[in-house]
Amino acid sequence: MELINLVFRNLKSRPVRSFLTWLGILVATTSMILFLSFGEGLRKALDSEMQNFGPEIRIVAAGTSAFAAPLPELSPDMLPKLEALKDEIGIETISPLVVMVKGGGFSPASGFLFYGLDDQTSPELFLPGAKPIEGRLQPQPDGAVVGFKKAEQSNLKIGKTLRLGREQEVEIVGILEETGTLSDSAIFVPLKVLQDAMGTTNYGTFLLNLDNNVDIEKASQKLEAAFDGIEAQSMSEAMEYAKKSLRIGDFIRFGISAVALIVGALLIANTIMMSVFERTREFGLMRAIGAKQQFIFALVLTEALFLALTGGLAGVLLGYVGTIVINIVSVNYVGIALSALTVRLAFFALSVALVLGLLSGLLPARNASRMPVIKALGRA
Amino acid sequence: MLETKQLSKDFIQGDSTIHALIDFSYDFPKGITAIMGPSGSGKTTLLNLLAGFDQPTKGEVHLAKKRIDNLSEDARSDVRLHNTGFIFQNWSLLPTLNAIENVAFPMLLAGVGKDERIAKAAGLLDSFGLKHRAKHKASQLSGGEQQRIAIARALILEPQVLFADEPTGNLDSASGDIVLELLKQHTQGERRLVLVTHDAEVAKLSDRILYFRDGKFERIEELTR
Repeated sequence: MELINLVFRNLKSRPVRSFLTWLGILVATTSMILFLSFGEGLRKALDSEMQNFGPEIRIVAAGTSAFAAPLPELSPDMLPKLEALKDEIGIETISPLVVMVKGGGFSPASGFLFYGLDDQTSPELFLPGAKPIEGRLQPQPDGAVVGFKKAEQSNLKIGKTLRLGREQEVEIVGILEETGTLSDSAIFVPLKVLQDAMGTTNYGTFLLNLDNNVDIEKASQKLEAAFDGIEAQSMSEAMEYAKKSLRIGDFIRFGISAVALIVGALLIANTIMMSVFERTREFGLMRAIGAKQQFIFALVLTEALFLALTGGLAGVLLGYVGTIVINIVSVNYVGIALSALTVRLAFFALSVALVLGLLSGLLPARNASRMPVIKALGRA
Repeated sequence: MLETKQLSKDFIQGDSTIHALIDFSYDFPKGITAIMGPSGSGKTTLLNLLAGFDQPTKGEVHLAKKRIDNLSEDARSDVRLHNTGFIFQNWSLLPTLNAIENVAFPMLLAGVGKDERIAKAAGLLDSFGLKHRAKHKASQLSGGEQQRIAIARALILEPQVLFADEPTGNLDSASGDIVLELLKQHTQGERRLVLVTHDAEVAKLSDRILYFRDGKFERIEELTR
């Protein structure tokens, strides 16, 4: 406590320099929080998406990456063959699906993501427990059911007509309640209508629910053995793939934010070095009175750690405010909270700031503590 | 209490060796011992060695029944803290601390609790007539006040040996007199004060004067106070 008091006095005696250094740490930590919060936000969104997603296996054409919209490459005669394998593999339901993205790429704000569902499949497949806030839940036989966010963004209302292709139009018959997932930005239409609009009789994917106690991995293997040119992706596999991508993204973002942190560390090192240089005589006086080397070392190092800790804490707080602002924008724009400050991330950012504070304070602390007393006092 | 045996200190400068102090053996008696001599006579070198700031090239320094010249830096710091007090010519207070904290600083190093050290420092400042300056920092104090506070700090752990290096060197004569009077007052009983000075008037308040020239001890002059 006494040491902290001394440290605080020393930093206060050079207020502008101390504040600027502190600000450097704050900005560096905030930038790291913001960069890495994207990974955390996407991970959380992914978890939530997965929890809301019913099917255990999706069959797509070989080479289709997990989470990519599958092209209609699966031939219609696959469906009866799959039906025939139901008992052998332990398939409970088969939901054939086509997906169409129209305009704006994958940006849910400007683009339209259509799911074509057959007569037996309801939007509940993607949003278990989903309820319409207006109209009905089922798009069949010739309507469209719109996710909450899409309806809000594109001002879609019951009775309005959506054009899918040159001759294919559907009337909006239902608007779903908000679920906070990506499916809030989707539009569900009858399978046949969407196939016609895409000029195909193929399917993009088959979503399978398995009987209880059926081993998902084994079922995937059997399906891949039964059909050529397909992949039977289990959702856990897809999840792993997505998380791997996120981890790669995390590394890239950490690399970028590390630059800011290294600059912050150099700021601390510079401030403490200058401070040690200016206070050589003061340290000499302390030693002459009877302070041990360890006392001087701890004093200088604590200054660096104090700057790093308080700057880091303020950076975490500012980062938290930043994630709120990002989420307000991203929820409006893409329908999901992209950024998240998890406890893990807060601790990580704070730890990195502290480690850098420690490293940048070590050399000045060592120099200050090892300086011979007569030299420090100018009596050599 | 404070003794040197064949104490020598050489400094290497380029190709030449400077003999700053040569074979000085002396057992400092209680009371005030002034060290005098022209510049380069070895006064400051001797004080540095006695206080354990530096290590001799040869010989021994005994302080408080311990041989200190061969101790580690930290061990010498410890001996200094508990057995000595030092009053410098100038720049003697820690600038970020106020007067009372400066006085109490050795007690902080010795691990004494805040209440006890502040109470003792306040009592000492009071007896030095500086109670009203307790919360002032060095930059807000006159040179004379700073030196009085430095003396209070040197005395707070009640050491048996005091060192003073030109303690009145930067003071006007009135302030210098007050400082000298304080030093005299507090060198009672078994306490020893080793005082380095150029000023013959200052040396007169001592019990004896050791004269040095070119690193060699020349003679001793015993005085009656």
